[in-house]
Amino acid sequence: MADARLRRVNKEIADCKNDKSSHINIELIDNSPFHLKGSFKGPEDTPYAGGHFDVDIVIPESYPFQPVKMKFLTKIYHPNVSSASGAICLDILKDAWSPVLTLKSTLISLQSLLCSPEPNDPQDAEVAKHYLTSKASFEETARYWTMVYAGGPGKTGSAAGQKQDEVAMAGLEKAHVDQFESLGFERGKVIDALRRLNYRGANVAKINDDRVVEELLK
Amino acid sequence: MSSDYENSDNEYFEDDDEIMDEDDGSASDMEVDGFDNGYKTIGNKRLKSYEVDYEPLSQKQIEDTMKNEIDYISGLCGVDADVASLLLRYFDWNREKLVDKYMDNADGVKTNAGVSPPEKPEPSTASSSQIESHTGPRRSTRRANSSEAQKQSKTKAIIERISPPVEEPYMCPICCDYNPTDTRSLACEHKFCSSCWSEYIKNKVRNEAEQWITCMAEDCNIAAPNQFVQDVLAEDPAVWNRFKELLVRHYVASNKNLKYCPYPSCTYTVSCPSASSKSSLTTIVPIVTCGASPTHKFCFGCNIDDDHRPVVCAAAKLWLQKCQDDSETANWIKTNTKECSKCQSTIEKNGGCNHMTCKKCKYEFCWVCMGPWSEHGTAWYSCNRYDEKASIEARDAQSRSRASLERYLHYYNRWANHEQSAKLSVELYAKTEKKMEEMQMTSVLTWIEVQFMKKALDEVSKCRMTLKWTYAMAYYLESGNEKELFEDNQRDLERAVEELSELIESPLDTDTITDLRQKVTDKTVYVQKRNEIVLEDTAQGFQDGRWKWNCSVDGFD
Ligand SMILES: [Zn+2]
Ligand SMILES: [Zn+2]
Ligand SMILES: [Zn+2]
Ligand SMILES: [Zn+2]
Ligand SMILES: [Zn+2]
Ligand SMILES: [Zn+2]
Repeated sequence: MADARLRRVNKEIADCKNDKSSHINIELIDNSPFHLKGSFKGPEDTPYAGGHFDVDIVIPESYPFQPVKMKFLTKIYHPNVSSASGAICLDILKDAWSPVLTLKSTLISLQSLLCSPEPNDPQDAEVAKHYLTSKASFEETARYWTMVYAGGPGKTGSAAGQKQDEVAMAGLEKAHVDQFESLGFERGKVIDALRRLNYRGANVAKINDDRVVEELLK
Repeated sequence: MSSDYENSDNEYFEDDDEIMDEDDGSASDMEVDGFDNGYKTIGNKRLKSYEVDYEPLSQKQIEDTMKNEIDYISGLCGVDADVASLLLRYFDWNREKLVDKYMDNADGVKTNAGVSPPEKPEPSTASSSQIESHTGPRRSTRRANSSEAQKQSKTKAIIERISPPVEEPYMCPICCDYNPTDTRSLACEHKFCSSCWSEYIKNKVRNEAEQWITCMAEDCNIAAPNQFVQDVLAEDPAVWNRFKELLVRHYVASNKNLKYCPYPSCTYTVSCPSASSKSSLTTIVPIVTCGASPTHKFCFGCNIDDDHRPVVCAAAKLWLQKCQDDSETANWIKTNTKECSKCQSTIEKNGGCNHMTCKKCKYEFCWVCMGPWSEHGTAWYSCNRYDEKASIEARDAQSRSRASLERYLHYYNRWANHEQSAKLSVELYAKTEKKMEEMQMTSVLTWIEVQFMKKALDEVSKCRMTLKWTYAMAYYLESGNEKELFEDNQRDLERAVEELSELIESPLDTDTITDLRQKVTDKTVYVQKRNEIVLEDTAQGFQDGRWKWNCSVDGFD
């Protein structure tokens, strides 16, 4: 069966190269065809538009009878992708996998996941909370990440080389962070605590300052 | 025996009630022989109040029962045995539901169950193909145009299907092999090479423990009949056997009167209708043995991998969950419990004042920042803010959780101690065996006569298990007379067990060996009696509804 796996993967790579229309790219990372890098553009009309996303691809021993392993190499702010590790929550990468699915079709599915996040089956709970609480603020953060990490366009067009703003990265308000920082807490800790508490949008009114201090004292 | 459990669930429930009724009477004198439910009771012995009636069954016995079910459906629906098997499995062996639906709409059931393709079969040739069966890039129409690709990329559900056009030379779409030696397809006629089928099924069976194997084509729900699986696995008898085991496991999992032995690679099943309802688990602790080995002891009512008598499943589960959760709380408090930065003795928190003085070395420091108090004269502001409401509340919450933690630790430490001792018993058995050999050589006692040591150790291990779980029970018992009586019994058993333990481990003296033998034997009998008392009384208490919990326990009101 080892030959079959190699034959199949080689054919998939070749087919993907020959197909210019899908704008899905697959390339070798080292000399092995079983460790690849896939990439695609962020879909239009989403916060990921203009970004270029790289995906790490590992072909397991029993491919295609077991799903291919994929994770984002490019940092991305999305409810179904871990903001820390790039791990992806997508059914076809787990039990809904079928041996007739290909690397390309799977990457296309990933691309469409960017169009339609599923916050009720999240990989990153904090990002999902953000999405559900305030979609506008979530999208702003996602756009910001796209700009900083995926080479997407900045709001003002000048942001590409700009120093990363931790507060914007976390999707928080600078005024809120300043407020608790002024009590003497470390800025990084404040950002962490507010992120955990989902201190955003309408939630701000619901969370009293004591609760925040308690979280900060943990 | 097979006829006994092709009964419907309803009949089982009647049996269940019958048992409960008798239990309510005088459980310890319960005569099992009188049951008319057809279940044999092991050794036909009388059941104690902490024992349940059950029957171990081999894989063969279950397979026979399954075959009866299949034959019945096969005859009733006029389908072959493989189809009947698929239908039953599709309905999780709920025969009544299957017959009901089948009589209503046979074709619909067959389609949904993946037995036969829908009336108007999808033409297997029409599909966009990426991995193609031709060698050169001679066809340009193969791919969707870019706008379509865009549309496609927005719909997660749209996934390419790889299947070659019919007029081309055949290529297996899974392994991309041209002209494979052998191909197979299910009723849907989606063709794949035999070697891919074999790899696919092996993977499903071995890695996913799946007995329901569908066609490899995307969105095709046609299921593989047993004969197909067997043919594909002709050269892998081990995988075929595993598949048959999975069929049995699925049947067992579908019947609440049955439970598969949880021990690794064991294929026995236990039938225990009296413990099949959730409500029965408030009055009994259904510990059973599978029949393959007396060491395969498990609880029929829950997944706890232990003989958790005398405490009922729900409370035992609650306790284990608590132990898991509180290891976190304990850790949290531990990291929040500070040591004196001078002498490392642990610091007790008291009152609201942050000015602390270590009892041991008299070091004066600030509770909040752990810095020396002397420095706070100048940098006072930076610490003062912690006297605000929030931090006081935080500290109060901490001391509250500390008090409840201490209560928990009281029970937990005793629980863990018995568990630890049980874990060490392997060593103790080895040590005792050595001792027995020694006795036999240096004293007048024969090998048979020195067995009293092993018997004593068996009893100690058994009782430690009981004791361990009595602490879980006591933790949740509401204070009062009943709890006090429970703890009296617990204390008597514990004391006796510790005394017997000590006797077993005491150094050997040839002169007093007969004396020791007498003492150990007497103590063993006593310990056994104390253990019986704890188990019997607790079980009786559950049947009488005598035990009251100090929190809400699943199933009790
Ligand atoms: Zn093949
Ligand atoms: Zn099919
Ligand atoms: Zn067993
Ligand atoms: Zn149990
Ligand atoms: Zn000290
Ligand atoms: Zn201080």
